Amino acid sequence: MEKILNKIQLSDWIAALDGWESFAPILQDGIWSYQPIKRGVNSVQLEYPNTTQPPKNFTFPQREVFFTFEQIKGEAPRLTQILPTDKPRVIFGVRPCDGQALPRMDRLFNEQFADIYYQKRRENLAYVGLACNTPPSRNCFCKAVGGSPFATNGLDILMTDLGDRYLVTAVTAIGDRLIDHGVQLFSEPTGRDRAEAGQLRIAALKQPQRAIQESATVPKRLKEQFASPLWEELARPCIGCGICTYLCPTCHCFDINDEVATPAPLRGSRIRTWDTCQFPDFTMHSSGHNPRTEVGARLRQRINHKLQYFYENFGMFQCTGCGRCISGCPVGIDIIAVVNQVTATPEN
Amino acid sequence: MNESQPTPYEPKIVAFLCKWCSSAGSDLAGVSRIQYPANATPITVMCSGSVSPQYILSAFYKGADGVLVSGCHIGDCHYLEGNYYARRKLFLVNEMLQFIGIEPERFRMSWVSAAEGTKFAKVVKDFVEDLRHLGPQDKLKAQRP
Amino acid sequence: MIKLQDIKNRARELLANGEVRAVIGYRNGSRGMAAEPAVIADPNDAANIVWNPSCVHNLALYLVDDRKRLTRKQETPTKPIAIMAKGCDARAIVVLLQENYFKREDVYILGVSCETTGMLDEHKLEQLKIRPDQFTAVEFDGDDFVLIKDAETQQRFPAREIMADRCLECRNPFPKLNNAVFGEEKARNLAAPFSALMQFEQNATQNTRWDFWQHQFERCIRCSACRSVCPMCYCEECIVDSITYSVMPDTTAEEKANRIRWIERSATRANNIGYHLTRALHLAGRCIDCGECERVCPVRIPLRLLNTKLERDARERFGYEPGASVEVASFVSSFRDNDPGNFIR
Repeated sequence: MEKILNKIQLSDWIAALDGWESFAPILQDGIWSYQPIKRGVNSVQLEYPNTTQPPKNFTFPQREVFFTFEQIKGEAPRLTQILPTDKPRVIFGVRPCDGQALPRMDRLFNEQFADIYYQKRRENLAYVGLACNTPPSRNCFCKAVGGSPFATNGLDILMTDLGDRYLVTAVTAIGDRLIDHGVQLFSEPTGRDRAEAGQLRIAALKQPQRAIQESATVPKRLKEQFASPLWEELARPCIGCGICTYLCPTCHCFDINDEVATPAPLRGSRIRTWDTCQFPDFTMHSSGHNPRTEVGARLRQRINHKLQYFYENFGMFQCTGCGRCISGCPVGIDIIAVVNQVTATPEN
Repeated sequence: MNESQPTPYEPKIVAFLCKWCSSAGSDLAGVSRIQYPANATPITVMCSGSVSPQYILSAFYKGADGVLVSGCHIGDCHYLEGNYYARRKLFLVNEMLQFIGIEPERFRMSWVSAAEGTKFAKVVKDFVEDLRHLGPQDKLKAQRP
Repeated sequence: MIKLQDIKNRARELLANGEVRAVIGYRNGSRGMAAEPAVIADPNDAANIVWNPSCVHNLALYLVDDRKRLTRKQETPTKPIAIMAKGCDARAIVVLLQENYFKREDVYILGVSCETTGMLDEHKLEQLKIRPDQFTAVEFDGDDFVLIKDAETQQRFPAREIMADRCLECRNPFPKLNNAVFGEEKARNLAAPFSALMQFEQNATQNTRWDFWQHQFERCIRCSACRSVCPMCYCEECIVDSITYSVMPDTTAEEKANRIRWIERSATRANNIGYHLTRALHLAGRCIDCGECERVCPVRIPLRLLNTKLERDARERFGYEPGASVEVASFVSSFRDNDPGNFIR
């Protein structure tokens, strides 16, 4: 289904989505982030770059309670599973690079090894995407990693900004349903609408982005450069903060801890939290040995995971080219520059 | 009997008491049969100077409504200087809690000597009364599960 | 005005004649005008050193990093390491020396004075629609201006409009502790010290403070960048992490479950408060307000407020100045007879 929606009616459409909790990008505390839209209170507009944090939190929150446990001494422990009970949620303004993250996360959490917590959140989540007529970030490189500013992977709807109106294109059945909820607000697209959208798409694909040189052979070249001393040299300023992984739409390493509320009777909960391969202690073994004590090894790990290992396992880059790790790094470590330098051959 | 009468709120206090002065003072209050509210859970520490800000934050995290740190009077510390360090560090803890908007009455410090059983009882009694007005502490309390 | 060539020459000299094993300094980043930290070991690479208003990083962090590397490799250096240090950075080095993190002779300080113009705040530039990557260079221009250049044009800004808050409030841009110094000691009277703190206190009454801070602590994602970027947060195992726990064959599940965990990893409000308050209190008297923690926070939590609050207490209630003197004992390991005690019953 494809429709036209006037921009001034975007908030009306959101208000018509009964049974859904809606989120949209809001500028708050100096950063853009997805905030819940209270009907009639917020008027939504989608002229924005991209959010500081990706929408990863909706399917993979920083803190996920698995179950609570209780053990009276002498008895077997009692476990009570806590499953997510999110109302259906729809996120507006999702950029194609963030939409692309969902198929990547699905591979890991929703296929061979099904994570019920992820699944429950995922099945209640819809993305209304916004195509990028111009790159929203100075560090965008979706094209280099197999994406595009008009890609629809992971999205339920893709909206194209035509100035005073959106071309609203449903990608999935959920997208159709979302449009149906506000059917009276939409009109049929004209030939001119479609032509304009087509031109914007062609223009968008020509917009300069940052580039990974010869990205098609990057997995192979990264493999060849595993022992390169350049890793350590380029990672030298790294402070091990974790910003790159926490802002990444596809990074998903986690830690699991028992948070004990009372020791006797033993009561607590088993909780999953985000973890990061960039913390020096990430790979610390209980023996005291740590295979990745040096920053070079840790930077290499993250870049290889994104651009080599995941590609070898699943046939696509795990990196979606959003550029957040580059914009967020406090010391200017730049995944594109690092990859280009480490895999540089005499010709390039 | 009025079945809908709610049980009155009893504030929970965690009291870090230095072994040599305040803890002994609390013992004296006990053997002297001085009546005072039983709301304080005492934790004996070797010296008020050994009380880390972490203990205080942790007590609030676990749901304490009030935290008391009590030690020897200035000049009387068993370790000579420990309470001077306590005075400095806990001043900062006090300031920091208030700075972020925690009610100033929730954290309290006192000097109570081993001979001051009456004072100890009064300190706890006053603390309980002041805390009753504030209600349960939920700003620093852990989210469970 | 500092001549960049003087710094480069000195750095190259120190490396070429073997006086130092490396120079921690600034060089151009991978793109655009922003500088990045660099550890230079080859005398020829000294030519890459830059000094401009984007040299915002506190390089003392890399002294700590250097120490940790040496420990891991079990090496004892025979030569010092050199470091470019601004006023605030030099004060951080003073604190590290107070705490015996290394010896004075282990570090060769190339002091660089910010003089009247401090470092840029990228967020303030963003407000003016200046994106650092679109420009090729940024320079000090006289005492009060900054030039931002691209291939064809240049724009001139009054420095005070785009300077970081902590630079506006800086009492002393001159690195007193140094082996060599570039630039002069000049006063910078742009904003009163603790301006941001006072602004906050004016706007937030005792009742609204909690609303403000509650909101901030809810937003923290516990990336720990604030801790990672702070030179003074050098503990191998931070109290927040509590990960090291000796496990023997007969350690019971109960003992493991009950091991001390002061603060959990969950980014809940209560845990985040524990993390930030603990960090601020552990920095009391040690934080020299380089402002890096606030700069690196991805969700823009106004962390300087917490640290400058305690710094003000240290100065005004206890007469203690962080980073002033290597010989003085640290703040929490000293006391005065007349320390404030009215809050004690």
